[in-house]
Amino acid sequence: MRRSTSYLRYAGRRLAQAAAVVLLAYVFTFVVISVLPGDPVTNTLRNPENGFTEEEIARIVAYYGLDQPVVVQLWQSLTHFLVGDLGVSLRSNLPVARLVAEVVPSTLALAASALAVALILAFGIAYATQNLPRRYGQGLLRALPSLFLSVPAFVVGLLLIQVFAFQLGLFSVIDPDSAWATFFAAVALGIPVSAQVAEVLITGLDHESRQEYAAVARSRGLGQARLFAKHLLKPSSLPVVTVVALTVGELLGGALIIETIFGRTGVGSLVQRSVSTQDLPVLQAVVSLAAVVFVVVNLLADLLYPLLDPRVRPEPAPEGRPALERSAS
Amino acid sequence: MTTTRAGRWAGRSRRATQAAVGALATVTLLAACAAGSPASSGDGTGEPQDGGDIVFLIDSLGDTWIPNNSAISSFQGHIWGHVADKLVYVDEQGEVSPWIAESWEQNDDATQFTLHLKDGVTFSDGSPLDAAAVVANLDNWAFGDPDAGISPIGLFPKTYDHAEAIDETTVEVYFDAPTLGFVPTLGYHGSILISPETLALPAEEQADLSNDIGSGPFVVESWQEGDNVVLTKRADYDWGPEAVGHTGPAYLDSITYKLVAESSTRTGAVRSGQADVAYNATPQELSSFKDEGFVVAVPRYLGFVNGYRLNTQVAPFDDTLVRQAFQHGINRDEILRTVYTEDWSAAEGLIQSNVPEATDHSDSFAYDPELAASLLDDAGWVEGADGIRTRDGEQLALTLYPNPYLATSEAIDELVAQQLGELGFVVDIQAYDVVTFGERVTDNTSLSNYEVTRSFIDVGTVASILTDANNGEDWFGLGESDPVTNDLRDAVAQATDLDARAEAVDELQEHLLDQAYFAPITQIVQRIYVQNPQLHDVTYNGVAYASYYTAWLEG
Repeated sequence: MRRSTSYLRYAGRRLAQAAAVVLLAYVFTFVVISVLPGDPVTNTLRNPENGFTEEEIARIVAYYGLDQPVVVQLWQSLTHFLVGDLGVSLRSNLPVARLVAEVVPSTLALAASALAVALILAFGIAYATQNLPRRYGQGLLRALPSLFLSVPAFVVGLLLIQVFAFQLGLFSVIDPDSAWATFFAAVALGIPVSAQVAEVLITGLDHESRQEYAAVARSRGLGQARLFAKHLLKPSSLPVVTVVALTVGELLGGALIIETIFGRTGVGSLVQRSVSTQDLPVLQAVVSLAAVVFVVVNLLADLLYPLLDPRVRPEPAPEGRPALERSAS
Repeated sequence: MTTTRAGRWAGRSRRATQAAVGALATVTLLAACAAGSPASSGDGTGEPQDGGDIVFLIDSLGDTWIPNNSAISSFQGHIWGHVADKLVYVDEQGEVSPWIAESWEQNDDATQFTLHLKDGVTFSDGSPLDAAAVVANLDNWAFGDPDAGISPIGLFPKTYDHAEAIDETTVEVYFDAPTLGFVPTLGYHGSILISPETLALPAEEQADLSNDIGSGPFVVESWQEGDNVVLTKRADYDWGPEAVGHTGPAYLDSITYKLVAESSTRTGAVRSGQADVAYNATPQELSSFKDEGFVVAVPRYLGFVNGYRLNTQVAPFDDTLVRQAFQHGINRDEILRTVYTEDWSAAEGLIQSNVPEATDHSDSFAYDPELAASLLDDAGWVEGADGIRTRDGEQLALTLYPNPYLATSEAIDELVAQQLGELGFVVDIQAYDVVTFGERVTDNTSLSNYEVTRSFIDVGTVASILTDANNGEDWFGLGESDPVTNDLRDAVAQATDLDARAEAVDELQEHLLDQAYFAPITQIVQRIYVQNPQLHDVTYNGVAYASYYTAWLEG
């Protein structure tokens, strides 16, 4: 009973923290973009091909509220944001909520597929390093993660397009949301992520397989495959959860490049267009969204810990905050 | 967000630069095929066939779709050209012919025009494109609604007063000063006819392309912001411009514009048959596509040539001799050979040679390094042992700012820097992205030069920008100080007779080039198309947009 109240209080505090992070991200984006010279509306209007008079430009700028002092603009944007009004894009004049809603599904599909590809690759490599006899190129396998990390995602992406789209015709760049196109985009995005996961996993497995219990299990005739699946994998996966939570940022950042190369329209390409035109309302919405995703994923990772390793459990700390830490084993 | 790069070229060997651009230097091309209107694409002949769907890959879909605010965009113009019609048609040679306006008259001093409209033209929602609709559009182009976030269209004559619908098909248009450029302006990419119902919508709803109703041969089937626009044929369309040789419905069933930001993906998709047209290929890619049988089109737009505006208020260009030396020190043939392909041609004056008023002034700025050197000697710039010219202890230095709207601009500036370096100039290059360029270079009167890329449909509409009168841009920093320029500018802007105006344009060019206010480089091609050879009879208009209204797919 006491435990659940403290857990609720803990969850409440985490939520408040999350809200603060999101708000700070929102304000921070505003400040960063505001210190840049110019704004998208004036930049467009000042294109000399337009030949507009100063008076015309001033009236249009006033329509967008960009003639107001920065503090007033921030206050207005913040009060609207707090009641769920994301505003209107300065670049496309479309509601920001619509723009974001249009691109999120595609990026979610790409990021989730990339994560799946990364995990399958990482676990496959890690399993092989434990089970493949040394003379069959285990050293080579252990070098794979560094190789994956050092090849830029866009090179892999361009190569995949060249071979599988243009040469083999497996997918078309015209339809980048098709299953094959999503798969290959996910491969390009997932490879560098898999490297980090694999490295952590291999280290964990090496560590666990040196433990006494592993030697005992082996001496009792347990096969390497069963040992891996039943005993080594679970404790070695613990740091993987942390790494995966951290790679969310990388998946979102990498999506920008991969989406551009594969011609996908997603959060990344929306950010790219918005940054190049200083489209503040869209950037604020996307950064806030990214902050929400980051906070939620890290929260989920914390909640996953005790399920993976019973040695980790949320215990009420003296001041009532559960300490998520390993008890001494 | 700023990419800056400064290259110092003075005294560098010619060979170094030639090696640097060596990869491009080998480019030689077989045949150009973008001329003529309609331009036939490929060798295929025969009767047009109905049906077929094409995919056009584009590197951007621009920003907003509010018709007035977006029509200037060189990306969205592709879509507007199929969704909306114009009152007149202007072909690649600048010739104006009837479209929605069947005929027109003007009074003697070009202040009042009567437009006679085609009968029976409708917008795709069924509402009539009649005189009242045209008046609504004219007002919208001229004034916009700045307080509602809708701008006027660029380059629409500021002399517009008002228009009246006389009857269903007759519109009377009034100006408060002679405006000979009015009718050609109706063929500019901004002047698209949109349903008055759309124009009455608030900005946010006009920005949704699905709400933008035109009278063109295609309608918007679907679209996604920043991703694609799918157009389908309008079956009852029957008012195409006669000049393109076809007036009924389009032959193609649909056109899909798809954004693919990566240039090699765009061209690769055309090569592998996944798409039919790739927009904005690099000049260096073109020869291999031609060798493989693809169609390459490099239509020129009507407008100014690519060249440098020199600021007479800022050193070293406050000295006529230095400006002239700059003009004669640029080797245009070398630029054409190294940066471009055979499809590009040298500038012959201030304006592109397909503009009806164009005349050849290439002698007045021809490459002549000896003349340039002696002009600099006369101006007191003495060449030192290090090859750099100085005067009173000061170096002959300047900075070039590549125009980010032209992909080849930086390569050109590097060559120019090297050519001028041989003459004893010290040349820096400062490259900015579009946003920073707009902030730091455009309208910055403290810079010594500005690289021009600019289209126009009628020469009369741009004469006034040369000086500071009438909100002019004062291109050369002259203000009102040069009466000859002022008189010729007024003669062009206020002409009421086309022959008299052509004469004034010729004199104006001669004067500006003699004074070396402007240093032309090459004629400009800003739109490059690589195309599937099965696609025939594509037309290119006066602003070099490809129209697939007349196009058909073979087989």
